Amino acid sequence: MKKIEAIIQPSQFNSVKDALLEIGVEGMTVTEVRGHGRQKGHTEVYRGREYTLDLLPKVKIEMVLPDQRVEQAVEAILKAAKTGKIGDGKIFLSTVGDAIRIRNGEHGESAL
Amino acid sequence: MRANSRAECDAERKKIQQAFLDGASVHATLQALCEMAERNTQEGLQAASHAHNLEPEGLAVLAIGGFGRQVLFPYSDLDILLLFENVRAEQKLEAVLAEFTRTLWDRGFRVSSAARTLEESKRVDRENVEFHLSMMDRHFLTGDQTVYQKLEQKVLPRTEKVYRSFLHEELIKLTKRRLAKYGNTIFHLEPNVKDSPGGLRDFHASTWMRQVAGGTSEIRGADIAERDLALNAVDFISQVRFFLHYQNGRNDNTLTYELQTIAAEESLGIRDGIKRNAAEWMRIYYRHARTLHHQLQRSLSSQSITSHSLWQKLLLAGRPPKIELSPGKPYAIRNGQFDILDFTAFSDRAAVLALLTEAAQTGLELCRHAERTMAYILFHSELPAKNREISWKQLRQILGSDYPGVALRPMQRLGLLTEVLPEFALIDSLVIRDFYHRYTVDEHSLRTIEHLQALAEPSEAHDVPFSTLWKTVERRDLLVLSLLLHDVGKGMPGDNYISGGLDALKIAAQRLHLSPEDEAEVRFLIEQHLEMSATMQRRDVFDPLTVRSFAAVAETRERLQRLCLLTYADIHAVNPEAFTPWRAEMLLQLYLATANLLTHSLDSNRLHAPVEEPLLEQLRALTGCEEPGKIERFLEGFPRRYLGVHSAAEIANHFGLYQSLSIELVQMELTSAPYALSLTLLTADRPGLFATIAGVLTSWGMNIVKAEAFANTAGMILDSFRFTDSSRTFELNPGEIDRFRRNLTEVLLGTTSLQSPLRALEVASTPKIPKVNVETAIKFDDNSSEQCTLLEIVTQDKRGLLYLLASTMARLDCNIEVALVDTEGNKAIDVFYITKKGQKISEVDQTTLLDALQKALI
Repeated sequence: MKKIEAIIQPSQFNSVKDALLEIGVEGMTVTEVRGHGRQKGHTEVYRGREYTLDLLPKVKIEMVLPDQRVEQAVEAILKAAKTGKIGDGKIFLSTVGDAIRIRNGEHGESAL
Repeated sequence: MRANSRAECDAERKKIQQAFLDGASVHATLQALCEMAERNTQEGLQAASHAHNLEPEGLAVLAIGGFGRQVLFPYSDLDILLLFENVRAEQKLEAVLAEFTRTLWDRGFRVSSAARTLEESKRVDRENVEFHLSMMDRHFLTGDQTVYQKLEQKVLPRTEKVYRSFLHEELIKLTKRRLAKYGNTIFHLEPNVKDSPGGLRDFHASTWMRQVAGGTSEIRGADIAERDLALNAVDFISQVRFFLHYQNGRNDNTLTYELQTIAAEESLGIRDGIKRNAAEWMRIYYRHARTLHHQLQRSLSSQSITSHSLWQKLLLAGRPPKIELSPGKPYAIRNGQFDILDFTAFSDRAAVLALLTEAAQTGLELCRHAERTMAYILFHSELPAKNREISWKQLRQILGSDYPGVALRPMQRLGLLTEVLPEFALIDSLVIRDFYHRYTVDEHSLRTIEHLQALAEPSEAHDVPFSTLWKTVERRDLLVLSLLLHDVGKGMPGDNYISGGLDALKIAAQRLHLSPEDEAEVRFLIEQHLEMSATMQRRDVFDPLTVRSFAAVAETRERLQRLCLLTYADIHAVNPEAFTPWRAEMLLQLYLATANLLTHSLDSNRLHAPVEEPLLEQLRALTGCEEPGKIERFLEGFPRRYLGVHSAAEIANHFGLYQSLSIELVQMELTSAPYALSLTLLTADRPGLFATIAGVLTSWGMNIVKAEAFANTAGMILDSFRFTDSSRTFELNPGEIDRFRRNLTEVLLGTTSLQSPLRALEVASTPKIPKVNVETAIKFDDNSSEQCTLLEIVTQDKRGLLYLLASTMARLDCNIEVALVDTEGNKAIDVFYITKKGQKISEVDQTTLLDALQKALI
């Protein structure tokens, strides 16, 4: 099992969600986050006042999938989240030891 | 029947449930459940004593809490108190009590027991006030009656006397905390019928408050009708709670969407034989919840019951009440709330509206007595209502105030809101099911307005930028009207609720006699109320293309500001967690980028008259001008903003002035706008014109708060100024208006020279010390416009500032092509599009101008 964490542009969230649903990935956790990579922050001067965003709004999508489905899901995210501009985000993959369904205590992939 | 096993108990519970489902009353069902619990408690103790061969001497078992007041729902906890004569009795009976509670659990009762000795009962545990409140409803169940009698006769009378005011205060605190947890509203889409406002806990809390206050459980000051209403409400909501317990099979009191549907199908609590859908059934629920909540509110607002010593009573009697009277008004401010002095005056709607308007302007609420009195007057026909017709002029005073929600809330409760805006009745207590909204549609709509008024003093850092927008927004009345109407379409048939809302607006606008421009503005806000939210969620707000396309929707900064506030309020009112700092940043970014673009693209975004056919048609009709191309020539080349900030009627008026230019070279119109005067002037462009007009206004002692300068392709300028006349020169001496006009014309024609405006100011008044210091920022921008250099100046506002800036530019041969001058409190925000000899300002000239402006501003 692998955990996929994708940090994407908020504007691409719906496309990514739809792309994942299309390949049958239904379970995901979504968080409103802030951060920056090479994109850095953004400053807007309005009526003489500076409004600086050091950390830019992003969306984090997390999901855990069986190994055999990971590649397809990553492909789907890449395709849907890409605009070609700086700030499109990152995908992180990590190995997950186990998963447990709280309702019935089921373990492993069947708990996903 | 003697219930001594789990199976027998379950069978009895099933029998009670079946009787309820077959139509047994709430009272009968409660009684049956209580009797069963009491019998089992008595038998349980008897059996435990027998098993251990030990009589329960020195122990009294009491029913407390819900069980104590004989209100036991199927899966409620069984609250019991084990009261001991002393510690010795407690130790002696330890094994009996273990057996006793085990027996009850085995028979399916969820026992929640507390143990106290008589000695311990003399003190109030400050960490467990809930226990003492549950003790207020108690009765003896079984055991040693003498222990119980000691409690009632010797212990509690003294404890209650000592701790009465403490308990009362704690009860109020607990109640307020509970109400706040549920957002202080009964209008939850999935309410908890026990704990949320309007639930059964409201009824119990108000009963306890009355008991603590004076020992009576009756509703103080309530008439028979009110008492009946409250008892009906308790009966209805108790039925719902029974239903929920039986449906869920546990102590879950949440009236979910699914259960609302079933309750409606079963016509739960209704005996009129009319079939209702879930939304209609929920309206009945809210009506009952409102009754219980009002009763609690009244108890909460009643006087403190703290018992005073004789000395304190004498002191209080000598202290004058905190009351502010206004001569001639039938109401006054008492302890920071409006109260009614002469109730007969309120049969006149004008008096009602005057009071509500003052509430909206000051933010002071109506006290409960005032609202109750008003309700009586409005619903009883002994005093026939006068002036029932409410005009838009009256309504907009409320809607345009700093605290419109303070008036709109009581207006809704009193039925006045639907009297003046019947369209709002479409969403009265309306449940629309979705995952995000927590409140009914009417509650959501009123909350949007309350979120805006709370911006007067923002509590969260991410709300602060929006606070500035709220404080400076123009036509707040139209924004608030849009919020009242933006969701009314949800109460109409059809899938497109926005178009339903627009239909409702059409009817409302006709009835209220809204001007076509005002109606168009509200229409825009209702039509686009999701646009900003959708853009920030689905598009990249940092992308210039997104900003450009959104700017095309908003058209002007003023409209953008209203739309941004509407979006802020709409998201905020969905649920308490909806407006996150993350969302606030996205919304603010979109607003700032769009507002900047709108300000910086005035010059490049100009009118090409022939393509404005619908407007041309409208203007032809309004002006009667049939000369081909004349209106087009007038409009050609104006910044598009000109259309955004002026109505068709105003443009037609300007065109009339334009036509008169052939007779007189300077045309002007001076009108009175809300809180200010407005001057529109048309003439041929010439160097230093804007500075000259500003100079004349300054020399007359006028304070310019807003100004705009536009020019068309033919070189005709149209300048407009909004200014205040703090000396009331024109108001007190109407003859001076003509003299001002003459003076301005003569100065512009060069037949009279401009008096030194700043010297006139020095003579007229001493400069005021600013409340807030604004740092000066002067910025040149050569990229935003193809032909002009953009000069943005943010500085401390002061009398004569515009003249100072414009005349400095004129002195250095800089021509103002377009100007946008605005004031936010003590801050002046001026944007000028300037040229020198028809070209952008060179770098050398920019340095010279910067230096000159900085010197002028010292």
